[in-house]
Amino acid sequence: MTSAERVRGAGLLAAALALAAVGTGDIRALRAFEETVVVSEGLTSRVPLSRYFDGIAGTRMDAPVYLFDSGVPGGSVLILAGTHAYEPASAVMAYVVLENARVTQGRVFVIPRGNMSASSLGMLGNAYPPFFHVQTPWGHQKYRIGDRETNPLEQWPDPFTFVHYPTRQVMAYQDSRNLNRAFPGRPDGNLTERTAFAITELVRREKIDMTIDVHEASLGYPVVSTYVCHQRAEDMCMMASMVLSAEQFPMKTETSPRTLRGLTHREIGDFTDSFAVLMETPEPFIDKFVGPMTEELMLTGRDEFMQTAADRGLLYTDYSAKTGASLEYRVGRHLAGAAEVIKQMGEFYPAKAVRATWPTYAEVMARGVGYFLHDPKAADGKRVFTN
Amino acid sequence: MILVQVVIHQVYFVLSAVVAVLLATRLFRRKTRRGWAYDVVYAYTIIPFLLRALHVK
Repeated sequence: MTSAERVRGAGLLAAALALAAVGTGDIRALRAFEETVVVSEGLTSRVPLSRYFDGIAGTRMDAPVYLFDSGVPGGSVLILAGTHAYEPASAVMAYVVLENARVTQGRVFVIPRGNMSASSLGMLGNAYPPFFHVQTPWGHQKYRIGDRETNPLEQWPDPFTFVHYPTRQVMAYQDSRNLNRAFPGRPDGNLTERTAFAITELVRREKIDMTIDVHEASLGYPVVSTYVCHQRAEDMCMMASMVLSAEQFPMKTETSPRTLRGLTHREIGDFTDSFAVLMETPEPFIDKFVGPMTEELMLTGRDEFMQTAADRGLLYTDYSAKTGASLEYRVGRHLAGAAEVIKQMGEFYPAKAVRATWPTYAEVMARGVGYFLHDPKAADGKRVFTN
Repeated sequence: MILVQVVIHQVYFVLSAVVAVLLATRLFRRKTRRGWAYDVVYAYTIIPFLLRALHVK
């Protein structure tokens, strides 16, 4: 090559590197950011998930597990949030629980970010913003909008197809990094399978009576605004959904299909003694036909294209662009959904009763999510943690 | 089994770096298709391999 061509090449390479450096600002910020939580005084302990399986120790999947132990005999509940990190009302619900829970009977375990790796990835290529901010009386609290699957920086390469263990059901290759297709997991599997195994081991060793997996779903998807429950948890979920529908908001119940493998509502129920329940709330942000993917859409759920779809009967839940599906609505639904199904477990099985209180649906709708989040700078440092 | 997975994982990062180096080499040392459009293609295509090798994305 001539020296002029080399100079041109060097210039273009420098421009490409500059583009990469500038263009990855959001990516690097998302990867480095840690969410802050001010736990309530009822917190008993905080341990890493690797306490239950050391095969994930030292990895980004080693999520913190928070325990509220009343010291009074009763049941045990696990609230598993953030399985899919791009459903952030799930994690925010867990954070509201962590910051406000009072447990007077039994124990409540909370994992706010089940797939920590996915929460560091984001879907910036789909124009998802990396963060959203919840307004509070003292400022704002910042949270990540993650991805559905484990970050390839932690688990790569993907197989051509993912074969679920132990059923050998064949799934799409990307589901090898989908935590909610990896249950019950295995100790020598890929990182996502090992994480699922760690969670399953937590359920077994702590004798968790009810596992609640918290999700969000697109409105064009039939499994929305619903419990999805293992067969052994049907009665409790049916009662809970009837009570919620009569008193607070529409809630369905669907039974976990026996032929769909890898999900918590199937495998936690089959491979442990825990009642496995999954909750879905509507999240317009992840529907494919909405408008600009903005933080406002994430927080309010108001979208004209969603209204068009609703007018044409294409949605599986009620929707109005005037009210949208706000973060308050979604977090409130999850708080109430968890509270009610836990209450029903105590009704059906008094020995497994768990008495725990946190903000209600009505309170969150009236005051906003931010009202129930506390200022880390003003709090006792011993109660401030990062995830 | 886990060790094998870790080794394969790291090998893929090395492969990514190798491809980035190859693309950089071809940017400056090629005998055919020496137009500026091909320079742009080589320079731009390096980006994802470099980001993966550097554990950025």
